[in-house]
Amino acid sequence: MTLLDIRDLKVAIGSVQALAGVDLTVARGEVVGLVGESGGGKSMIARSVVGLLPDGARATGQVLFEDRDVLTMDAATLAAHRGAGAAICFQNPRGALSPTRVIGRQLTDRLVTHQGMDASQARSAAVGLFESVGIRSAARRFGSYPHELSGGQAQRVMISLATGCAPGLLIADEPTTGLDVTLTREILLRFREAADEEGRGVLLISHDLASIARICDRLVVLNAGAIVEHGPTTAILTTPAAPYTRTLLAAVPTLPSPHPAESGESAGSADPARPAGAGVSAESGDPAQPAGSAVSGDEVVRVEDAHVVYGSRFGAGGHHALRGVSLTVRAGETVGVVGESGSGKSTLARLMLGMITPSRGAVTLAGREPSRLRGRALRALRRRAQLVFQDPIGSLSPRRTVADAVAEPLRAAGVKAPERARRVAAVLERMGLDGTYAERRPHELSGGQAQRVGIARALAGEPDLIVFDEPTSALDVTVQAQILKVIGEVTAERGRGSVFISHDLATVRGFCDRVVVLYLGRIVEEGPVEEVFARPRHPYTMALLAAVPSLDGEEETGRVRLTKDPEEAAAGGGCALAPRCPFAEDACRTEEQELRTLGRARVACRRAGALPDLEGPER
Amino acid sequence: MRIARFTARRLLQAVPVLLGVVVVTFVLVRVLPGDPIRTILGPNATEADAAAARARYGLDQPMWQQFVDYLGGLFTGDLGVSIQSGQSVMGEMAVRLGPTLELVVIAVTIATVLATVLGIWSARRAGRAGDHTLRVLALVGNSLPEFWLGLVLILVVYSGLGWVPAPSGRVDPDTNLSLITGADLLDAVLTGNGPAFASAAGHLVLPVATMVVVIVAPLMRSVRASALEVLGSEAYRAAAAHGLPERTLLRGYLARAALVRLPALAALVFGFAIGSTVLVEYVFSWQGFGQWALRGLLFRDYPVVQASVVVIALCYTLIFLIADVVHAVLDPRVRI
Repeated sequence: MTLLDIRDLKVAIGSVQALAGVDLTVARGEVVGLVGESGGGKSMIARSVVGLLPDGARATGQVLFEDRDVLTMDAATLAAHRGAGAAICFQNPRGALSPTRVIGRQLTDRLVTHQGMDASQARSAAVGLFESVGIRSAARRFGSYPHELSGGQAQRVMISLATGCAPGLLIADEPTTGLDVTLTREILLRFREAADEEGRGVLLISHDLASIARICDRLVVLNAGAIVEHGPTTAILTTPAAPYTRTLLAAVPTLPSPHPAESGESAGSADPARPAGAGVSAESGDPAQPAGSAVSGDEVVRVEDAHVVYGSRFGAGGHHALRGVSLTVRAGETVGVVGESGSGKSTLARLMLGMITPSRGAVTLAGREPSRLRGRALRALRRRAQLVFQDPIGSLSPRRTVADAVAEPLRAAGVKAPERARRVAAVLERMGLDGTYAERRPHELSGGQAQRVGIARALAGEPDLIVFDEPTSALDVTVQAQILKVIGEVTAERGRGSVFISHDLATVRGFCDRVVVLYLGRIVEEGPVEEVFARPRHPYTMALLAAVPSLDGEEETGRVRLTKDPEEAAAGGGCALAPRCPFAEDACRTEEQELRTLGRARVACRRAGALPDLEGPER
Repeated sequence: MRIARFTARRLLQAVPVLLGVVVVTFVLVRVLPGDPIRTILGPNATEADAAAARARYGLDQPMWQQFVDYLGGLFTGDLGVSIQSGQSVMGEMAVRLGPTLELVVIAVTIATVLATVLGIWSARRAGRAGDHTLRVLALVGNSLPEFWLGLVLILVVYSGLGWVPAPSGRVDPDTNLSLITGADLLDAVLTGNGPAFASAAGHLVLPVATMVVVIVAPLMRSVRASALEVLGSEAYRAAAAHGLPERTLLRGYLARAALVRLPALAALVFGFAIGSTVLVEYVFSWQGFGQWALRGLLFRDYPVVQASVVVIALCYTLIFLIADVVHAVLDPRVRI
């Protein structure tokens, strides 16, 4: 008996056909991936399975769950079916966790309701469940509120809530959106475990084919409310039949895709994910070029030994977000900044934009120090640097038109109205948005269009520096490719420096000149992008590269894998990575690591260049 | 611990605020046209009589000297002497403040509880008949003038039905209630005087009801709006999609989240009510703070006006401090 059997499901909202005849089955112990772009109807399928279609939606067809039709269930049966039958693991866990209830209570509520436990049983079971999804010191975390959790932890809690309902079918709606590569891999493995060890059916919904492919048994590809292709994962990846599937596959940014400008050069280093062969000999063969001197334009921003401490509001303690970072960006140069969540990427961005003052060290933007300026002069300086935000729609005011939003930096600069209108039109045109977009408001834009508006707004004031803060991580894969192309064009201009922040290494590789790898507020490796990607020398860089999802679907042995969570790796003495590093020696735990030049890159690892062969055993 | 530190800091911050209030009232009340001395003298009083009276109340001194004297008295708990009655302001106020605070505290408490229950009830039935009826009723209550509503209640509940004692005074004098705080209900409890308690409670019913009807509407609207927001939130829908029972949803996921905005508004309503009970006091012969303060203002009784403004400011400060602490307790994201 199949667990979930959807037959010819059609959902219409008003005159819009959201789903046009969907057939889908999920069996126990099986992981089915449901793939498609946003707006394709994926979430509608998930909501119909728990009988939570939006108001005004009309559904026909059958959603059979253990042979009972969810669409025709009465209220009492439906209440019993929700949670115990099928439980959704919601997208955006921070939003889906109740902000005013401690997470432990949220879990025990589910345990008491669906597993009939009493309060004390539920409490100990909850702690156990938290531990099983990888939450450290679960007993202490029991009393935490959702806003005290990091994104990865919130996602784990969400999974524990869904599995705490002991559902037959676990539905995960975009469970890894916005998570960095190392976490994505970890979280997805939990779903595989739920199918393999607990015998649940798992329906995994994602727009990102690459990240979920390796744990799915079967894939179902959805486009515009209809299923265009379904079958075993390997069959779809190797021989996609539908053109739409091929589009999705082509849009996946993968590491080996060469830098457009340097395709010849990087062809030599065939697979950057397997750097074992690239030893010292390859290095010495390189033309001796000092690190980071590829471009010699004017200095746009210079960060010198910057420390940033976010103090807690009552003095004691505080969070050390940056611990001595030095970085220079020149005009015409694009610098990629990568690292896991919490590594200090966004703090570095805010520092360069003059939005925060370093507690130690100095920042020079366009030749002046923002921390020494006040009032009008500071505002004028801030206009020299612009930010492109992660959440394209959220960073636009819902009440203002596109033209208004784009004109904002110009208005701040005191540009007169006719001139402003002309420049807004020109910059929108450059972003491929015709005049009809100017009067639209953010809710009338798709994510990709909104991000084009965001880039247009950053460009309008003709700044010296543009910082892209994970500009594509909230977008669909196919849209990502287009936006990356636009960003590639923008960053290629000579007169301006660009900083591209991302946890997704594949996107950084596309068009950055240099890359800086951050870990817990320190630079652990920096150098020309092709050098760092082809011959990563720091174990952390290796691990980040190894965690990038690829479509071959196989778990490669010999890849570097970090052992624990960053938050667990309490900073003791010595190298900050030592508690998580598979290569750590005793000396690593006592010696502070300084950046030293190795070939064309600079690395903060005492063992860099002399690490054991990566084909060796993990951990 | 954190709350204690927060409270201490806020109380310290209140000192300059209150000092500012004292300065502004001191100057304003003297700038206003009108002479308190003329109001206590007979029509035939001579200029010499007036000068003598002025000297008696220290009003012949230069303004800065008067202010320094007043400030000195303030720190020793001496609020001066009422020009009208010749009594100590502190003593008069002690008798007047208790009854009004009792009235306002009880009314705001009942209104807050009522607003919570009805607001959440209403939000869960949004758009249905019950919701509409309740909102219209609340709006009507909010629109009624207090004095008119009070009179109607007296007419119906006292004259018509005879359920409550006559609206004259706050407690039956035959119960021999000894005065401690001035708040009769509290005094009855403190002295263990049963009959006085019943009498005071009976006298409180109508004025409290009048105030509750008038102030419950904005509180209820706020709770209803917050509850609707919570009901539509992703977090609540996620909990509902996991099949949690209604009771758990209501208690664990709706109530607390919906009440987050209430404390600030309730504090505002409370502060407003302290200064505006005067109409209700008149209608029910309450002999409270509002009447006393108003009379002081009408006769330019400088010490009375100054004292009442400072007390109202102090009430605002304290009640907003309490509201902030309650808010922080309700909403874990707020850091105080």
